[in-house]
Amino acid sequence: MDAKLSAGEALSVEDQELVDGLLAGKRRPLAKTITLIESTLLAHQQRARKVVASILPHTGRAIRVGVSGVPGAGKSTFIEVLGIWLIERGHKLAILAVDPSSSLSGGSILGDKTRMEMLCQHEEAFIRPSPSAGSLGGVAAKTREAMLACEAAGYDVILVETVGVGQSETTVAGMVDMFVLLQLPNQGDELQAIKKGIVEIADLVAINKIDINPNHAAVCIAQWKQALHMLRPTSPNWTVPVIGISAMNRIGVDEFWGSIERYRETMTKTGELEQKRRNQALSWMWSMIEGGLKQLFRNNPVVEAELPKLSQQVSQGLITPGAASEKLLDYVRSRD
Amino acid sequence: MSNEKLPDSSNLDQWKQAALKSAPKTAADPAKWLEGVKWVTPEGLEVKPLYTKKDIENLPSTDTLPGFPPYVRGPQATMYAVRPWTIRQYAGFSTAEASNAFYRKVLSTGGQGVSVAFDLATHRGYDSDNPRVVGDVGKAGVAIDSIEDMKILFNQIPLHKISVSMTMNGAVLPILAGYIVAAEEQPEEVGGSVAQKDLTGTIQNDILKEFMVRNTYIYPPAPSMRIVGDIFRYTAQNMPKFNSISISGYHISEAGASQALELAFTLADGIEYVKTGIASGMDVDDFAGRLSFFWATGINFYLEIAKMRAARLLWHRIMTNFGAKKEKSKMLRTHTQTSGWSLTEQDPYNNVIRTTIEALSAVFGGTQSLHTNSFDEAIALPSDTSSRIARNTQVIIQEETHICNVVDPWAGSYLMETLTQQMGDKAWSIIEEVQTMGGMVKAIESGWAKMQVESCAAETQALIDSGKKVIVGVNKYRLAKEDTVDILEVDNDAVRKSQVARLDQIRKTRDSAKTQAALDALTEAAADPSKGNLLDLTIKAVRLRATVGEISDALEKVFGRYRATNQTISGVYGAIVESQESWKAIQADIKKFEGAHGRRPRLMVAKLGQDGHDRGSKVVATALADLGFDIDVGPLFQTPEEAARLAIENDVHAIGCSSLAAGHKTLVPQLIEALKKQGSEDIIVVVGGVIPPQDYDALFAGGAKAVFGPGTRIEDAARKVLDEINKAFPAK
Repeated sequence: MDAKLSAGEALSVEDQELVDGLLAGKRRPLAKTITLIESTLLAHQQRARKVVASILPHTGRAIRVGVSGVPGAGKSTFIEVLGIWLIERGHKLAILAVDPSSSLSGGSILGDKTRMEMLCQHEEAFIRPSPSAGSLGGVAAKTREAMLACEAAGYDVILVETVGVGQSETTVAGMVDMFVLLQLPNQGDELQAIKKGIVEIADLVAINKIDINPNHAAVCIAQWKQALHMLRPTSPNWTVPVIGISAMNRIGVDEFWGSIERYRETMTKTGELEQKRRNQALSWMWSMIEGGLKQLFRNNPVVEAELPKLSQQVSQGLITPGAASEKLLDYVRSRD
Repeated sequence: MSNEKLPDSSNLDQWKQAALKSAPKTAADPAKWLEGVKWVTPEGLEVKPLYTKKDIENLPSTDTLPGFPPYVRGPQATMYAVRPWTIRQYAGFSTAEASNAFYRKVLSTGGQGVSVAFDLATHRGYDSDNPRVVGDVGKAGVAIDSIEDMKILFNQIPLHKISVSMTMNGAVLPILAGYIVAAEEQPEEVGGSVAQKDLTGTIQNDILKEFMVRNTYIYPPAPSMRIVGDIFRYTAQNMPKFNSISISGYHISEAGASQALELAFTLADGIEYVKTGIASGMDVDDFAGRLSFFWATGINFYLEIAKMRAARLLWHRIMTNFGAKKEKSKMLRTHTQTSGWSLTEQDPYNNVIRTTIEALSAVFGGTQSLHTNSFDEAIALPSDTSSRIARNTQVIIQEETHICNVVDPWAGSYLMETLTQQMGDKAWSIIEEVQTMGGMVKAIESGWAKMQVESCAAETQALIDSGKKVIVGVNKYRLAKEDTVDILEVDNDAVRKSQVARLDQIRKTRDSAKTQAALDALTEAAADPSKGNLLDLTIKAVRLRATVGEISDALEKVFGRYRATNQTISGVYGAIVESQESWKAIQADIKKFEGAHGRRPRLMVAKLGQDGHDRGSKVVATALADLGFDIDVGPLFQTPEEAARLAIENDVHAIGCSSLAAGHKTLVPQLIEALKKQGSEDIIVVVGGVIPPQDYDALFAGGAKAVFGPGTRIEDAARKVLDEINKAFPAK
């Protein structure tokens, strides 16, 4: 990133300390910075923006990998095994996990530490699960910034883990260099994944738990390759590899990481990585604009007062959605 | 008068008319009201106010005899009428010396067997000098590192006469081997060397339930089951009078399961063990007779009796299906212990009464041996006085009440026969569900079984906290002022030092090359089953003075250490209490906090040390999340430094330490120190669990902001935690 972009915004003493500590690779300032980034307070968001701007020059060197897969695919086990493997090879690893919000009240149970018991004992690992509930503007922007904070703190591999249901994959794919799909060797499952539209965004497919039934797994891998063959590849210079792994038995980890490094090399050479990151920055801007507009709208006092009433009228069929939205948007427009 | 036909079960309408007279005036529809007069048990059975002859008319097993299939009425023909159950008090006091003194006292005052509780470090296969167990040595049981400790433990206890029960599952090989070698080396004046064939007793050896509820496992399920199989084979050949397993519902029940769930999961575990025995090449009748069971009896009097009767009925069915020929293979024999969970810290003498009632249900249920809890066990290890009262509870039932004179006195009771059948049917349907999942190992591995239990636990807690389930002295008739009860305190540091010294001595005096060779043989056999039976090889290593930790390590090299995949439930607790005003008030305050801080209050639940009891921490986690906290669940078995680091990484406001095994006085101050060292003393620490009032001051002095003993309503704890967080993190 260009250092000039961030110039001109002075930090408070407190935030300067935060940034200094973070850049020195200290755990607590990094954690505090992520909290600031995730905060729903406007004042915090303003501070966060400055903090992120001032660390930007120190970002961009890590490899960013998104990992997704259905519950039970063995994501946590795999990430733990991969993480320890990477640490043994001198890497520093940050894992950002987006947890679903659990209950109606908005609280959540974040269990990633439990699931990565061995990895979280390592000094070179930083694992941070984030509750996703209730954050206006979406988790995407926040995770993206948290990712930058980790890079600035010296972590050279960033894994972003998602739950593997719904739209979170597309969001995560939009912020990482490479998107990995973890699958189980179940025949027939590949169709479901295609329906979900997740396959199109995968740069690498890993079939986990191949040790349970190797024959089954071989068939599954072949099916996946064929299915992928019919789709447009994510890049003309890249054939999406399908590899078999067994996280539990540490099989295929080197091949997995080898594919990631090969991808990075290829994409760097062709300039596609640089291009991808530029595009991501652009869409990041747009998603922040959208989030900002939404928040602006919601924070409008007249909207806040009128919204419940109009919502009820819409659901009762007393007024059309179009008319209601026009009315609400008018409140915002008429302020200027 | 004599010819007049009195109303009986064919005139139920007459009874209904009479019953309607008791309808409250406010009841709009008395008939409907009467239908509602019933008790729905935790497993969903409906217990009516009246049972008659009609209820049992078509039941299949109501007219059977004790000592005959299907054994509903008991495994022996004469039961207690000739010989009462064995009074077997479970105990372990920090050091081998102290435990030995206790056993000898028990044996001289009416106790009839020895039952050993081990400390957590031993359970998890660590020697006392391992840095991971600093806070755990000598806590919740006796620290055993080697054969020398074992010999002190059984000093002067004639092992050829006294039966020994050992609660050990994780480090089952070195402990069982230690007992065998201690008997082998029994001095002449006590009776001389005891042959393996003469040893009587029980080893718990029930690893499956550890994965589900108690968490004192070492290796993953598959190698753990191999160990179970090797023990079955070895004992079947060499120790015909020794029970090679005690399949335990106790801990499942204590973790929160309903009676039907406890029954079903335990029998389903039993099915797996039988399969394991058969798979290791034995005929089912070679070992099935040495399988024993272990139930909890809680305060639900009728249900517990029904559960124990139904258990024998179902086990007979299961073993018949396995093709067992010998009758002994098909009869379920059991040890029982009164519930520890039902004991309260508040007004603790009430626990004597609870334990008496629970002991009665165990006796009416037909147990073969019984442990009655001491009234102070909700907060600490039993004192001399409390253990005497506990023991006498049984002695009085046996010797004063004449309860023993009649076999299975509840038989023929309309209620009890119906309930026995219903309990059996309910459990059977759960067993079938487990079987369709592929058996208990699968049900445990997937996390399903654990979540069933935890969901029961969360529901129970919510019922207690909302006052729908009464606990006298806790949520009703609470004392304004509690008296303090004298408790026994363990100086854990002193215990550790003496253990470490003894370990050093052993390592210096033994022939370490030979010991290492024996350990290598063990590692080899772990990798290749054809290289030998694991128990056999462990006995050889123990003879050469290999320690518990060394033996566990030798196996771990091949087997690895198991790490649980932990799942959490949500919504169960909140659903029951959410309509309460106080609950809504806390939710509103959490919203307020979020408004001021830009995020919800975030708390990490931490389990420090080797204490794997996670019912409390799981229930608290789910309840607080339902309230609106963000909850991080830390892994089990953390060191204070690790917990501090995770808390900092997640930037939590508070850490909630859950302690059920007395390690808190060492571990909590260490945690606070670790936070300080890492520049994060602003993170507040609260403590909950089995914490005696005597420890509160030390914990506060160490920096804890709040302490929650047994019987705390979670809502009250949440309120206090939120207040402390607000104090520590004022809104700017």
